[in-house]
Amino acid sequence: MKLAALSRKAVIQALKTDGLRLKIGGFNVCLSSSIPEVADHLLCLYDAFDVINDDDFVDFYTSLAPPSILRRYFRPQVNFSFDGYYKFKPLPYKQASAMFEWGLNWCIASHSHQYLIIHAAVVERNGQAFIFPGTPGSGKSTLCAALICSGWRLLSDEMTLLSLADGLVYPVPRPISLKNRSIDVIRSFYPEVIFGEAVNDTSKGTVVHLRPPDLSVEQVKNPAEPAKLIFPKYEQESATKLVPLSKGRAFLRLAENCFNYDILGVQGFNSVGDLIDASDCYDFKYSSLDEAIVLFTELAH
Amino acid sequence: MPDNCVISLPKEHVVSCRFWEDESVVYNQVSGETHLVDGIGAQIFKFISEKAATRTVLLQNIINVFELETDSDMAGLFDNLILEYQKLGLLAVTENKTA
Repeated sequence: MKLAALSRKAVIQALKTDGLRLKIGGFNVCLSSSIPEVADHLLCLYDAFDVINDDDFVDFYTSLAPPSILRRYFRPQVNFSFDGYYKFKPLPYKQASAMFEWGLNWCIASHSHQYLIIHAAVVERNGQAFIFPGTPGSGKSTLCAALICSGWRLLSDEMTLLSLADGLVYPVPRPISLKNRSIDVIRSFYPEVIFGEAVNDTSKGTVVHLRPPDLSVEQVKNPAEPAKLIFPKYEQESATKLVPLSKGRAFLRLAENCFNYDILGVQGFNSVGDLIDASDCYDFKYSSLDEAIVLFTELAH
Repeated sequence: MPDNCVISLPKEHVVSCRFWEDESVVYNQVSGETHLVDGIGAQIFKFISEKAATRTVLLQNIINVFELETDSDMAGLFDNLILEYQKLGLLAVTENKTA
């Protein structure tokens, strides 16, 4: 059953009682919360996701709740818990939905060492996964949003999960996090896409989540072969420039962008090496999304 | 460094290498560090990852591959590189007991 089949009342009820259980990528997630806005966030952005049965194994038990009764009313706050542990400082109540996304990122990045986890967006076309590692501000999410709005498959906006077992990229398509100026860029580019509520005054500025395409969510069981490793850099007014990057340098830069390279030890080294072997590596500088889409579409043929 | 000393990857497979053209990345499992080496360094690791070699053989290989002049500067540079990699735990230099 898809989440869309449930009424708002039913979602709120599930969140308040045993928790709402969703299949998100390869993970089963249970979320409990008494915050109605969380239900709205899920219904807007996760409506195409499967609700799992009560007796299915759950990877991550999470909750969003005020840290104390006082903080329900006075300068209201929200806190994210995983298996009953609170890893983060509370945030303003209005940032609850964003905190769920960030908290889930942390759950996956900290507990999924069957994958090499790369801080990178990853999209697929013609069976080829294009991986865009990037530090905040590099424009990877904007690029990723523009590509999926142009028909590419979303595997992930935030974390590329490269299986240590078979070297394939496993999808975990979730809402794409856009920040500040990139929100209006994508809104004006693709007025038909669905956005969640804007969350203002976060540590990253204003954050909005974009609903993942249905087709990407449906293909959640289909991994993709890594083909291109592209380090994007958005620069105002810059010409579109794709420059080959040597494999050795790409290796080091990729390793720097992994969440668990050090934890995996020699497995991490081999996994990065295999990915580099399988991929053409580039530096990419851009300011025009139109040109970037044309270029990558040609590259995927 | 004696000409007949043997240069090899450290025992117990604590070092892993990958090679692409004139570059190599070398991973030391003990320190957890990954090193990017190119040029002569990459050729050193390419050679010793196939089999251990004496200083004489390895230096001659470098001279041949890079078409270098045989002079003391080159030998000095080579020795410094080997010592540097040895300090990082990326290779081992042992006395040749069979000589």
